[in-house]
Amino acid sequence: MSRKAPPGARGAGASTSNGTTSSAPALPTISTEDMCPVCKTIRYLNKDMEFLINPECYHSMCSNCVNRLFNDGPNQCPYAGCNRTLRRKGFRSAFFGDLAVEREVDIRRRVAAVFNQAEDDFETLRDYNNYLQMVEDLTFDLVSGGEAQRRTAEATLGRWEAEHKAEIERNRKAGREADEQSRRRLAAERDAARQRRVEALQEAEEEKRERVRNREAELDNLALGDAGAGAGGAQRVQLKRRGQAAANRAVEAAVHTAVAAAADVGRLSIRGLKEKKKAPAPEGPYDPFAGLDFVPGRYKLHTGLGHPGIDKYKDDPAHITGGYSFDEYTARAMFEAFAGLGVFIEDEMEAGIGLSAGEVATMSAGIAAVGDRMELD
Amino acid sequence: MEFNIDDLPVLFPYPRIYPGSYMVDLKKTLDATGNAVLEMPSGTGKTITLLALIVAYQQYYPSHRKLIYCSRTMSEIEKALVELKALMKFRADRLGYEEEFRGLGLTSRKNLCLHPSVKREKSGNVVDARCRSLTAGFVKEKKEKGEDVEVCVYHDNLDLLEPHNLIPNGIWTLDGLLRYGEQHKQCPYFTARRMMQYCNVIIYSYHYLLDPKIAERVSKDLSQDCIIVFDEAHNIDNVCIESLSTDITEDSLRKATRGAQNLENKINEMRESDQQKLQDEYEKLVEGLRGADEGRQEDSFMANPTLPDDLLKEAVPGNIRKAEHFVTFLRRFIEYLKTRMKVRQVISETPPSFLAHLKEYTFIEKKPLRFCAERLTSLVRTLELTNIEDYQPLQEVATFATLVATYEKGFLLILEPYESDTAEVPNPVLHFTCLDAAIAIKPVFDRFSSVIITSGTISPLEMYPKMLDFQTVVQESYAITLARRSFLPIVVTRGSDQAPISTSFQVRNEPSVVRNYGSLLTEFAKITPDGMVVFFPSYLYMESIISMWQGMGILDEVWKYKLILVETPDAQETSLALETYRTACCNGRGAVLLCVARGKVSEGIDFDHQYGRTVLCIGVPFQYTESRILKARLEFLRETYRIRENDFLSFDAMRHAAQCLGRVLRGKDDYGLMVLADRRFQKKRAQLPRWINQALLDTDVNLSTDMAVSSARRFLKTMAQPFLAKDQEGISTWSMEDLRHHQEKMDDERIKELQAQRERELNQPVVARAANAAGGDGRESDYEMDDFDEAELMALDTNI
Repeated sequence: MSRKAPPGARGAGASTSNGTTSSAPALPTISTEDMCPVCKTIRYLNKDMEFLINPECYHSMCSNCVNRLFNDGPNQCPYAGCNRTLRRKGFRSAFFGDLAVEREVDIRRRVAAVFNQAEDDFETLRDYNNYLQMVEDLTFDLVSGGEAQRRTAEATLGRWEAEHKAEIERNRKAGREADEQSRRRLAAERDAARQRRVEALQEAEEEKRERVRNREAELDNLALGDAGAGAGGAQRVQLKRRGQAAANRAVEAAVHTAVAAAADVGRLSIRGLKEKKKAPAPEGPYDPFAGLDFVPGRYKLHTGLGHPGIDKYKDDPAHITGGYSFDEYTARAMFEAFAGLGVFIEDEMEAGIGLSAGEVATMSAGIAAVGDRMELD
Repeated sequence: MEFNIDDLPVLFPYPRIYPGSYMVDLKKTLDATGNAVLEMPSGTGKTITLLALIVAYQQYYPSHRKLIYCSRTMSEIEKALVELKALMKFRADRLGYEEEFRGLGLTSRKNLCLHPSVKREKSGNVVDARCRSLTAGFVKEKKEKGEDVEVCVYHDNLDLLEPHNLIPNGIWTLDGLLRYGEQHKQCPYFTARRMMQYCNVIIYSYHYLLDPKIAERVSKDLSQDCIIVFDEAHNIDNVCIESLSTDITEDSLRKATRGAQNLENKINEMRESDQQKLQDEYEKLVEGLRGADEGRQEDSFMANPTLPDDLLKEAVPGNIRKAEHFVTFLRRFIEYLKTRMKVRQVISETPPSFLAHLKEYTFIEKKPLRFCAERLTSLVRTLELTNIEDYQPLQEVATFATLVATYEKGFLLILEPYESDTAEVPNPVLHFTCLDAAIAIKPVFDRFSSVIITSGTISPLEMYPKMLDFQTVVQESYAITLARRSFLPIVVTRGSDQAPISTSFQVRNEPSVVRNYGSLLTEFAKITPDGMVVFFPSYLYMESIISMWQGMGILDEVWKYKLILVETPDAQETSLALETYRTACCNGRGAVLLCVARGKVSEGIDFDHQYGRTVLCIGVPFQYTESRILKARLEFLRETYRIRENDFLSFDAMRHAAQCLGRVLRGKDDYGLMVLADRRFQKKRAQLPRWINQALLDTDVNLSTDMAVSSARRFLKTMAQPFLAKDQEGISTWSMEDLRHHQEKMDDERIKELQAQRERELNQPVVARAANAAGGDGRESDYEMDDFDEAELMALDTNI
């Protein structure tokens, strides 16, 4: 058997010393990536060999071996010295190359399902950090502690789960919601980016076609020998183009304000558009209060809402009925007017779906990076 | 010579000065404490003009604003220092006394080391690492405890001196600094580093200000009112972007794993021998004391890669507080990256989606990830590691982790599994690329009030404020005034057979185009005296066209007139070629250097006088547009700054073309031909710097090869006539007399203008008043009118 990695190996660089901590360094040239440790098949013989592990003991073997050994029900792990009984159902392919990490992540998944407190649940940042460290200690014991440590850690885990059942459930729900929200947000961004990209491409296409059309029209006019018509045509084209530009500008502005309300409109620049500079208005005498008249006054409590729009109905018999008080109406109007003051939009924005221009731009840059070829001159 | 600008007396060390308003505009910028973008032709004394004005400004006004002058290469830094030294000497002669003035240049340890064995190392990284292992704080502590450790005498001698007076006043060039260090047995590098706050002028490379990893350590203490100058800044946006981007390969991940393993071993070792230290570190992290001693750690080996504004100012999260936890954390992250690298298709992701995926598979949260680089620094310091270079890949990964968790916008992750589209063997690279040049430079603009960006070729100027997102006070491109037409730019669009020539993808390999380019080269090789430089858009194209020319026998033809030399990506080969080229130019054989518009030659090397009489730019040097990183950046620029793809590409190509063209003209008495050979240059003419564009006559724009040759021949004939320095006076150089004339003229004009303005002002209210009067509206608005006006008004009123 050849001692070199077979040519069909996945990745030439990966064949030699890729991090394999699980197997002993007995086979220096053929790593577990390329040879099944159970049946000794190498990838050269079986191109689509796939390795599976069972989270019971994390011993990897090829899918053929799994089928062969575990099709008829539970069986012992074929590794020497490993006496665990495995079932076919438990086998899956590993996400990580390093199986120690795979195991650690599996443990973390379990721990994270129980210890799912968020930062907001704690009074101070320090408490939260202590909590994080406690969880990490526990995980560390579970992953790499001795038998005794592991057992205590398991016990703690179980106890915590039993004690904080309701809380865990609530946090889990909140976490799922947050995930869902962020996923929706990402999807929305991606859609917006894609749409903008398509629009931009269309615009460019349209412009190109327009140019060709204009040129043809000009040539036709020239061919007809109608110089006047030619000039007129050119003028018309110019006008048309300008109109087009104005329409584009409107569209662009709309898109811009819709997506980035915060971005200042002054930066929106359109090619070929000259900036008109206004002559500065003549300055008057300097007024430090900018026209404001400062007469100190005290706060006075008004008896009712004095407003000419409603005052005339106050004594109008057509508007007075039994059981209806005008003051109640004004009080309610006042309440409605100021009801929003307790709402902090920024906080809600953080939680809700609000798109910012920078994010969308980054996203669309991502699409562009792998997207189709660009048209360039 | 000595003259005044407004009230500011300027001492200029040369008897003649280049005409123009560069100094005036510069002063305007400084007065307004704003930013400026200035383009001044190369070889007209840009550096000395700048230095003379700013030093005069510093010395005259009481605020004594510090000057930080950033340039690109070592040789440019050294040149600026020499100029500054000459300037200060002149000032001392003129004023009769030495001013309290200190100017220093800073460069890497490799260039400034004096330690007998360390300075012999070839690679900069090794020098840095070895220097740290001799000079780190804990080494000294060990020494004091009586342990037998190696230290650097040069560094330790510094501690014996007064900390604010390590080196006397004066200007210290890098050589001078080395010599002084040798004499006094003190380390020049640390002298420069520690004296930075006591300097009036500091000259160093861009990276010390733009790269957050270095800037945090080197440039932290600079005060707000510093004057920052970026010279040769036409590439500044790329420098900004590079400073925040990282690439990760499979190999670096493998090394990082090994680094993590070593780290773990070290931790275990330390736990057995010196438990206390780990415990101390832990306590400190719990308290959230961001190393009180970090400030004076000038030798820390890693720094946080994020910009100062984005640093999280809180305690390290609990789950990476303990050293062993942090190592498993790192290992998990590295394994995750390894798994991601196995994918065999191109992926582009935004940081948030990367983080979401990461969290799903490894339970790594965003916040500890942000602290990754900082935690690693702290751990390395606690473990007192000296063989730092082993941990370089680990640091890269930590840097990447911190960046990806800190920045959401303007960044992108691109995973490219294959090097090219046709490659069979995967070689995955994970690019974490910054798309927005404004991010890295923003702290500079925020912190310092005056930032001046200048270069010989920085057109179109308005692109820079747009891309880097800042406002300018002055934005000016200066024309060149020459006594004779000393350079001739021509655009060749057709070959001798009238077929258009271009290097666009469709036609670049057609034999007719290649032959036309070949005959162009041959013709110009025939008529050009001495040296000739040819620029191609890319290495790939250069190789293919050279092999085709070989087949056509064109090279043999060129060989008759000139030696042919080729630039390669290998630096040593190229420097050998350059040396041969210079020899051939000097001894009259003449040579042609074939090089690439974005290569080393096009950026830093001057072809003055006989070294370059013709520069031939074959094709518009566009970037490789199929690059995914470029595509992403173009898209981002369009979305955020409204810069169109084609605009940016053509801007970028033209600035490189201009850079290439500028290589041949390095002074007033120099001359050279500039040939732009591509059909597409005709339309892009307006994007050339003003001084080139001005010299490009309409008759020279759309030429075929034979016409270009005859025009060039005529030009070379006029250039061959004797030319005396006297002829230039008053035109391309000004003596004191000329300057005074100019100032008087300007003053006259100013007075006239003011008078005109005054008259306008006088007339305006009259008309307004008249209109008001006509409307029967008697408003009171004439509070600043004098009697004369009143009288005139009356007259007007009566007329109506």
